Amino acid sequence: MSGTLLLQSALAGLTNGFVYALVGLGIAVIFRGTRIINAMQGEFALVGGMAAYLVLERLSLPLALAALGGIAAGGVLGWLTDLLLVRPTRRRGGTEESFLLLTLGIAFAISAGVLFIFGRDSRLLPGIGGETSQIFFDAAIRTHALWLIAISSLVMLLLWLFYHRTHIGLSMMAASIDEDGAASIGIDVPRMRTLTFLLGGLVGGLAGVLVSPLITIHYEMGLLLTLKGFAAAILGGLSNPFGAVVGGVTLGLVESLAVLSVSSGYKDVIAMTILILIMIVLPNGMLGKRARKGG
Amino acid sequence: MKQFANEVPSSLPASPLRSARYRMWGVVAALFALWAAAPGFASRSVIDMLVFSGLYTIAGLGVAFLLGQCGIVSLAQSVFYGIGAYSTAYCTTHYGWPAPAGFAIGVGISAAIALAVGWPVLRLSGYFLALATLALAIIGQVLFTEWDWLTGGTLGIGGIPQLNLFGFVLNSPQRFYYLVWPVAVLLLLLHRNLLRSRTGFAMRAMRDAPAAAAVLGVDNHLLKVKVFVLSAVLGALAGSLFAHYVSFVSVDSFGVDRAINFLLLAVLGGAKTVLGTVLGALFITIMPRLLSRFGDIHAVLFAGCLIAAVIFLPEGFGGALGRMAERLRARQARP
Amino acid sequence: MAALLEVKQVSRSFSGLRVLNNVSFGVEAGGITGLIGPNGAGKSTLFNIVSGFLAPGAGQVLYQGRDVSRLSVPARSRMGLVRTFQTPQVFANLTVRENIMAGSYKQTASGLTAGLLWTPRARADVARMRAAADAACEEFGLTQVGDQLAGKLPGGQQRLVELARACVSEPALLCLDEPSSGLNSEEVARLMQTLQRLNREGLTILLISHDMDLVTIASSIHVLCFGEIIASGALTQIQGDVRVREAYLGL
Repeated sequence: MSGTLLLQSALAGLTNGFVYALVGLGIAVIFRGTRIINAMQGEFALVGGMAAYLVLERLSLPLALAALGGIAAGGVLGWLTDLLLVRPTRRRGGTEESFLLLTLGIAFAISAGVLFIFGRDSRLLPGIGGETSQIFFDAAIRTHALWLIAISSLVMLLLWLFYHRTHIGLSMMAASIDEDGAASIGIDVPRMRTLTFLLGGLVGGLAGVLVSPLITIHYEMGLLLTLKGFAAAILGGLSNPFGAVVGGVTLGLVESLAVLSVSSGYKDVIAMTILILIMIVLPNGMLGKRARKGG
Repeated sequence: MKQFANEVPSSLPASPLRSARYRMWGVVAALFALWAAAPGFASRSVIDMLVFSGLYTIAGLGVAFLLGQCGIVSLAQSVFYGIGAYSTAYCTTHYGWPAPAGFAIGVGISAAIALAVGWPVLRLSGYFLALATLALAIIGQVLFTEWDWLTGGTLGIGGIPQLNLFGFVLNSPQRFYYLVWPVAVLLLLLHRNLLRSRTGFAMRAMRDAPAAAAVLGVDNHLLKVKVFVLSAVLGALAGSLFAHYVSFVSVDSFGVDRAINFLLLAVLGGAKTVLGTVLGALFITIMPRLLSRFGDIHAVLFAGCLIAAVIFLPEGFGGALGRMAERLRARQARP
Repeated sequence: MAALLEVKQVSRSFSGLRVLNNVSFGVEAGGITGLIGPNGAGKSTLFNIVSGFLAPGAGQVLYQGRDVSRLSVPARSRMGLVRTFQTPQVFANLTVRENIMAGSYKQTASGLTAGLLWTPRARADVARMRAAADAACEEFGLTQVGDQLAGKLPGGQQRLVELARACVSEPALLCLDEPSSGLNSEEVARLMQTLQRLNREGLTILLISHDMDLVTIASSIHVLCFGEIIASGALTQIQGDVRVREAYLGL
């Protein structure tokens, strides 16, 4: 195996890793704010990517506006999801399972809706820097992939600042950790939850916009993206803000290096096996502290 | 569940209750007559749909049992359904073995895999467990595609022989209908037995309060593994029957969407009642067909049904019916 | 009398915080032993270690002279070590009678296959469970609510269901975690009578409580404070102990 090949697949793994990290970040945002595992995070990306594509192609607006449109679409979807579907379920005493099934159901509805409206075609967005690539020691990486890595890292940093430095971010955390306590000091808990979904949707929309120049927008893209994002978030530890990056990059690298030794058809088998193993062996993730039990 | 709870006290002599029970038996008899006569008047495509309802009842029963009695969300049933179907397909076409061999091998492999995978995975709970089973379904789907020397990949395996019961060839939907439903009903009855047995008590105890069940001596993990294996066996049985019925199997039938359908069936039907499984199975086979007249949007409408069911019918059709029956009984019991 | 349960130098920490520090005490067979202490003293942690929900960080739990520190909860239960919970853990979707029937799990043995096939053995087991539950309902005054869902009962009755269920499982040592919390004074009085009766019938009881009235039925008492046993002895001795008065009674 040549060094170039190794480096090439490491770069591919790194790129994929940041894609998983971005999806995982959205899952972690929603989990931290609502204690719900959002099985439709990949659909936020699907809708975000699709919206950006439509703005670009149908309205012929510039790419930057299309990207903003895609991000906004994800945010609106998240906001509506909480308001119209998650809240009524919570009012009726939803359990862990019912929220999972609910978000899974919405994911199908969206996937089926995209199939109904836009058909089975795959679509690509143009990347930042077009089709150009950068060369590192004979191995190439798309310029867009570098932008993806940079933007994801920036978003992660901004989210960290948001949760630790702003009043509203701290309120959102408080609302999820101790509902009654937060309410008693005047935090509007339902509103914080809605904002959490809005934020998760925005991150999902961004993921869709950034991913679509690399992997095609397709009605079935959501579920696998969700699962890999979840694996990334779990691998890094759901409670750690930078966990998703560590987890995503680890997953991406392992996946693409493993593909060097077995057929590429088994990529998802490897990723899913890793997901299962992590959950069993490292339930708090690589960065997570051991959860306190009992009392 | 509730039905059994109300049935068990034998010391209740109230006559309104008895008349309600006679009426219930009347309903059962009428349903049976309707079932038996259906192939006489219903079209071939309706019977075909009902055969699928029967197959899905069997596989879905495993999922519903895990969900309703053990609180385990399983999205892995498509894997066992596939193993059953491929075992039958491979053994009967490749080796020319008789049908029972296919059934036995499918059940055996499924049980072994459920045991080997379930042992570590069932230590997880909640979201983690649900996502682990979803990951299993994806692994299954990929392997069914990649191992084309065994499964035929996307081309599938054709020419699976029809079932032959004592010289009676089940070569039409009508004939298969008379096999699959008795099998499904038998399995439902067996599971109803299980539910009111000592092990059933342990399962329900574990679902409601795992710590308290452990204190009573229930080994929660072992019990979960056992029920998972049982569920896998049901999936494999349904898969083998499916292979014989359609005579052609390909990876399209064993994807993640199938697993989700089985879970949907359990949720919609109401996993806590054994009968709910039948309602759920009828719903997921009949509804798409009814909705398909609206064109391609039927998938969206169907997903909408799932969302509505999660929000409005947390106990499914079975639970809603049970509550209705209870209210009726209460009204009759009043003097 | 020999000690049925012996806790030997047990310590346990959570994320660096030492909750139990070198705790040792014994429970004599045939008696009622009380374990008291202010909130946060480590009572619940100690109880979880005794019943097997937590492993001790250091030290041993001996039961019937055997080290059970590594045994699972069900394994300890099979040896007769049964506990209740501070918030009653009833099986909410089962009726009261079914709850108590589940208590006979260890006294019956038919398995999953027998249950599926509803064999004579499976049937006999259920009949036995039912007979035991009916008797227990009678004994604990639960016959009237026998067919109600346990989750719908008020807290005091849930506690009684849990106690009845535990007794049906034929324990040798019954560990009760705050059995009087949520009960009114009349119910507490009845609970004390019940516990004394069970004790006379040969059941050894370990009682966690901060209810001094309830603890009067204990033949010996251990006081846990900030993770350490600060006093042991009969009630009168404990009440006279200066450290206990300071730490716990707040006098």
